[in-house]
Amino acid sequence: MRVHVVEDDAGVSDSLALILRNIGHTVVSHRDAESLFKGPLPTAPDAVIVDLSLPGIPGAQLVRWLLNLAAPPRVVVITGQSQGFIDHQLRGLVPDGVMRKPLDVDAIARVLPPL
Amino acid sequence: MKDFAPTSDAPHPPTVSEARLLSVLDTAADGIIVIDEHARILIFNKACEKMFGVTTAEAVGQNVKLVMPTDYARQHDAYVGSYIRTGVKKIIGIGREVQGRHADGTVFPLELSVGEAATPDGRQFIGILRDLRPRKESEQRLADLQSELVHLARVSAIDEMGAAIAHELNQPLTALMLYLQAIRRAHSRGIDIVTVVGDILDKAANEAERAGHIIQRMRQFVEKRDPERHVRPLDPLIDEAIDLTLLGQRHRIRIDRQTGENLPPVSVDPVQIQQIVVNLVRNAIEAAAGVPDPAIEIRTRASDGSVRLEVQDNGPGIAPEALSKLFEAFASSKRRGMGLGLAISRTIAQNHGGDLLVDPGGNGRGACFTLVLPAASMPDEVG
Repeated sequence: MRVHVVEDDAGVSDSLALILRNIGHTVVSHRDAESLFKGPLPTAPDAVIVDLSLPGIPGAQLVRWLLNLAAPPRVVVITGQSQGFIDHQLRGLVPDGVMRKPLDVDAIARVLPPL
Repeated sequence: MKDFAPTSDAPHPPTVSEARLLSVLDTAADGIIVIDEHARILIFNKACEKMFGVTTAEAVGQNVKLVMPTDYARQHDAYVGSYIRTGVKKIIGIGREVQGRHADGTVFPLELSVGEAATPDGRQFIGILRDLRPRKESEQRLADLQSELVHLARVSAIDEMGAAIAHELNQPLTALMLYLQAIRRAHSRGIDIVTVVGDILDKAANEAERAGHIIQRMRQFVEKRDPERHVRPLDPLIDEAIDLTLLGQRHRIRIDRQTGENLPPVSVDPVQIQQIVVNLVRNAIEAAAGVPDPAIEIRTRASDGSVRLEVQDNGPGIAPEALSKLFEAFASSKRRGMGLGLAISRTIAQNHGGDLLVDPGGNGRGACFTLVLPAASMPDEVG
């Protein structure tokens, strides 16, 4: 599966890419939503991992946009913020998964099963 | 005067003037006791009846020791005797805190002031007594409130720091965990990772170090230390505090930072000054959060032997009714306790010989807070 990672923290982004490749996925990393938009659109059956706290276009806005595509990819939200913040940001949005940091490989493999 | 002159040693019914005097004494809120040279009670007003649980009829004619705790009572005759012999005033005209004893045995604090009057009947001493228990209670209440205030300030700081620490530590912890798990997985599957493992372990160690730095930075803020003064340039302190404020900050905001030229250094407790900056910047961010293009300006400049930091937001300004109470602890309507933060900030500023000022803005202008610190005398300019 092709997995897009939209995460501005370099350490998190790099380690996430490593572990995703490790479980058999192809990874495309983006620093923010804007750089994701520059490339080809992610479509099903791709997956997009979105950090809620992004510089520029907010993560929740990217999630809404992705879920409204004609053939939406799987959308997985990652965040280190509080539950209250997550609920507030995701009002009305139902992504395929929400993972709270710190992340671990088991949680990732549950949402994006290894190939 | 004739009216008061005793006709004989036997007790006599009060004359009209005496009765008027006694009724006036009875309306007094303070206890009033008049004694003669032998410490015998002559007058014992209504307030005293309530204070000591003894009726006037019971008290008059008795030694004043009646309303004193035993150890005081033992010395009282000696005090009176010593004053009459030597004329050295221990309490007369001075007033002090003593203890009284209620008929039920309760010993309680009293404020006692004593005056002296020479009468045709000999010397009399007039004591005015005020029960200090209500005042002691309010002092205790004040002390309780103050310790609560300190506690709340600390809880609020820990609460906010906790959220920021949790958010910031999550990043390196996530990376660290995933690097280690990647190695673990490769290892358990017999995949040859020799060429990359060193690189991944270096990255993992860097992330652990990053977590350590976050803790160190936070710790400097939370730990209580003695006041200290260092001569420092103000701008780097401010920049560091701004970075810290923006950690874990949810609001998106434009920050325009302008540094003054040739700023003299200031003599400060760096951490305390940074606490003020964090507080001001955080308030500014919250104040601007509701406008379409939230922005704050953070400027430093030199002015008249002082260095000024101005934090200007483009929010709605501060309402006139809120302004007068702005620096009072607990005055804020905000959940996060801006009032407490500003009260503490102003205290810190004033302890540094400076001040914290506010221009409330309004009518389309945001508020501007100004921290004024006296410029430090220049360090020895040798060479």
